[in-house]
Amino acid sequence: MKLALLFLAVALPAAAQQSDGGVPDDLQKELEKALQADKAAAAQGGQPAPPAAVAQSTGSAPQTLLRGAQSLNPDFSVILDADVGYQRRAPQLLSGDDPDLKAEAARHALGFTAQEVELAFSAIVDPYFKGEVYLTIPNLEGIEVEEAFATTTSLPWNLQIKAGSFRSAFGRQNGQHLHMQDFTRRPLINAAFLGADGMRGPGVQVSWLTPLPFFLTIAGEAFSLRGDPADLSQATPQTVPSFGGDGSSHPTLAAEAKAFFPVSETWSLTSGLNFASGRSTGLLLADGTPVGAGRDSQLYGADVYLKWKPVNVAQGYESLAFQAEAIFRHLSGGDGIQDEWDGGAYAQIVAQFARRWFLGIRGDLVGIPSSTVLPRTQRIGGSLTFQGSEFSRVRLYAEAEHADNSSALLPQVNPQWAPAVFLQLEYSIGAHGAHPY
Amino acid sequence: MLALLAVLQIVSSIPTLGSLAKEVGGNRVNVESLGKGYQDPHFIEPKPNLMLVLNRADLLLYVGLELEIGWLPPLVLGSRNPRIQPGELGNLDCSRAIPVLDVPTTKVDRSMGDIHPQGNPHYWLPPGNAKIIAREIAQRLEELDPEGRGDYEKNLAAFNARVDAKARQWESATRKLRGARIATYHKSWSYVSQWLGLEEIGYVEPKPGIPPDPQHLARLIALMKEKQSKLLLMEDFYNRSVAALVAQKAGAKLLVLPTDVGATPEIKDWFTLADAVVRTLSSSAPGSG
Repeated sequence: MKLALLFLAVALPAAAQQSDGGVPDDLQKELEKALQADKAAAAQGGQPAPPAAVAQSTGSAPQTLLRGAQSLNPDFSVILDADVGYQRRAPQLLSGDDPDLKAEAARHALGFTAQEVELAFSAIVDPYFKGEVYLTIPNLEGIEVEEAFATTTSLPWNLQIKAGSFRSAFGRQNGQHLHMQDFTRRPLINAAFLGADGMRGPGVQVSWLTPLPFFLTIAGEAFSLRGDPADLSQATPQTVPSFGGDGSSHPTLAAEAKAFFPVSETWSLTSGLNFASGRSTGLLLADGTPVGAGRDSQLYGADVYLKWKPVNVAQGYESLAFQAEAIFRHLSGGDGIQDEWDGGAYAQIVAQFARRWFLGIRGDLVGIPSSTVLPRTQRIGGSLTFQGSEFSRVRLYAEAEHADNSSALLPQVNPQWAPAVFLQLEYSIGAHGAHPY
Repeated sequence: MLALLAVLQIVSSIPTLGSLAKEVGGNRVNVESLGKGYQDPHFIEPKPNLMLVLNRADLLLYVGLELEIGWLPPLVLGSRNPRIQPGELGNLDCSRAIPVLDVPTTKVDRSMGDIHPQGNPHYWLPPGNAKIIAREIAQRLEELDPEGRGDYEKNLAAFNARVDAKARQWESATRKLRGARIATYHKSWSYVSQWLGLEEIGYVEPKPGIPPDPQHLARLIALMKEKQSKLLLMEDFYNRSVAALVAQKAGAKLLVLPTDVGATPEIKDWFTLADAVVRTLSSSAPGSG
C-alpha cells in the first residue's frame, strides 16, 4: 500500500500540472507526443539532445559572488541534552528520552546522564520531496532512528503525504522532539498510552488542508508498530503498550484533525482531536505467564494550546502559553481480562517573564479511570529555563510523583511519593531548521 | 468575476516587498504580507493561518539571506502550494541581484551572535536597491503573466522615474548628515549608512541578536563621546529603554525609525517609508535644531 501511495505521490504532480496549466488541448497533445517520442528514443539508447542554454531571467547577473559556499549537502545539526539529577525511586512512566538515572523500584539514583544526543539531517530532495532524518541516542543506549521520512511538496488538492518512519501527529506533544518540550520530562500520558518512545514507526500519513476560511487539517495515518509485552520480571516499573501487538499483520491506524484560530494579533488558539486504533502487546507476569496480548485498543484524544505573545518586543518580552491534552483508552476484553476504559491528562502553563527566562508548571494525572494495566499516578512538576541564545538553554526541573497501588496485576509501589530534581543543559549546533508553531 | 480571476495573488514576507510588487503590478496583482510592518522580521511566529495565506499565492516574495529562516520554511512546506515551493517560478528571493554588504570574509560561527552567513539582509530602504527589487519582481511577473508584460514595463519605468526624482530630494535633504558618526542598535543600517554617507562607529548589541551587558554599553558610551557621535539609530520594534539610556549618557539623540511599510498607519508604501526615515534623520542634522 505504501508503494502504491508513493507512486501516487510521484504521479499526481504531473497530473496536476496538466490540469491547471491552462494549456490548450491540441498543444498539450502535441507536447505529450513529443515527450513520448523523447522517452522512446532514450529507451532505445539514443542520447537526448543537450538542453539549450537557458537565458538568465535577471537582466544582470547577481553582483555578489561571495554568497557563502554553495553546497548540496543536507543541513546537519546535533542537539545535546545532558543532565545531573536525583530521583528517590524509578519513575512509573518513563519515556525513552526522559533522563534515566537508573533508579530502581525501591532505590534512589543520583548522578549524570546524557538524556539525548540527536543528529538531524534535512534537505529538499528534488521538486517533489523534502527529506528529513533524525537519529537519536537516548541515555547513551544505542542509536535509534527517531524519524526518517519524505514529505511531498507538490501534490494537488491541498494534499501532503509523509512516508518513511516518523512520529504520529496524534496530540500535541507526540510529534515534538525533546528539545521542543518545555519540561525535562515528557507528559505521563506519552508513556502511558503512546508508548515509551511515543507513537512512532514505519508508516504513511496523508493529510489534507481543508478549503475552509480557517486553518483545519485532517490526517490519516497507518503504522506497522511492533512491540514486546511489558515484562513484570524486570526490576523497574513497566508500562503496558497500547499498540504493537500483532504488529506484523495488523497495522495501527490513526486520524487527527487540527484547527488554528488567530483570535487576535496577540492571542491564538490551536486545538486537535485525535483517534488511534491497534492491538495491545499485553504483559508477561513475573512468572512469565502472558496476559492480555492482542486486545483491541482504541485511543480518543483532544488537545488545546492557547498562547499570548505581543507582536513585537517593544511591547515587552513576556509571553504566556497554556497547553493541555487528554487521552482516553478502550481496551477490549480478552485473554483473561475484561473490557475496560482508562485515561489520563496533563495541563501546563509556561510564562516568559523576561527576555531569556521561562517559568513553567505542569500537572499530570493518569489512571482516570484506572484499569488493570494502568494504575493511577499523579505528578506535579515545575521548570525554570534560562535561554542563553536560540541555541542553548539551561533548565532546572523538579517534580514529585505519587503512585497509587490500584492495579491488581502490576507490582505494588513503595515509597509511593517520589521527588526528583534535574539540572538540564541543552544545545543545538549546526543548521537546524525552523520549528512548526 | 473574470477580472478577479486574472489578478495574480502575491504574498510577501515583509510588507515593503509587497508594496514594491504593487508598484510594478498595478491592478494586475493583489498583495498580502505575512509579517506586519511593526514586527521584527527575524522573529515572526509561524502561525498556521499564514499557511492559508500562502496556499492561495501565485508568487511568494521574501528578503532572503536567511532573514526569514526561523519561520518561513515550515509555512511554505505546510502551505501545500506547489507554485511557491523553492525552485518554482512562484518563489522569488528578492536578494538575488542585490549588492550585498557585510558578507563574512572569514569562517563564521555562532560565537559571533546571530549572524547572517550570506550577508546583511536589511537592504530594502536605499532607492538603488528598491529599483533592483522592483526590476526583479517585474521580470518574474512577466514570466508568470506574459500578457501583462506591457503593463509591468510601463509601471516599472514610472516607478523608477519617481524613485529618481525622490532620491534627489532625499539626498539634498540629508546632505548635512554626510560623514556623521552614528551608533545603531542592531547591525541593520549598513545599507542606509552607505546610501546617506553615515559612518557607523558602534552598536548597542555587542553581537547581532545578543543582549548588551553593562561593560559593553559603558565602552559604547565612551566611544560615542570620544568620536562625537550625536545619533543613535534603532528600529521601532525593539525595546527602547537601554538605547534611550545609552543616548542620554552619550549626549546623543535616539532616533527610532520605521524600517517597513505599515510600521505606522501613515507609512503606506515604500515612498512614504523612505520619506519617514529621511525626514527623521534630516531633522536631527546639525544646524536643523
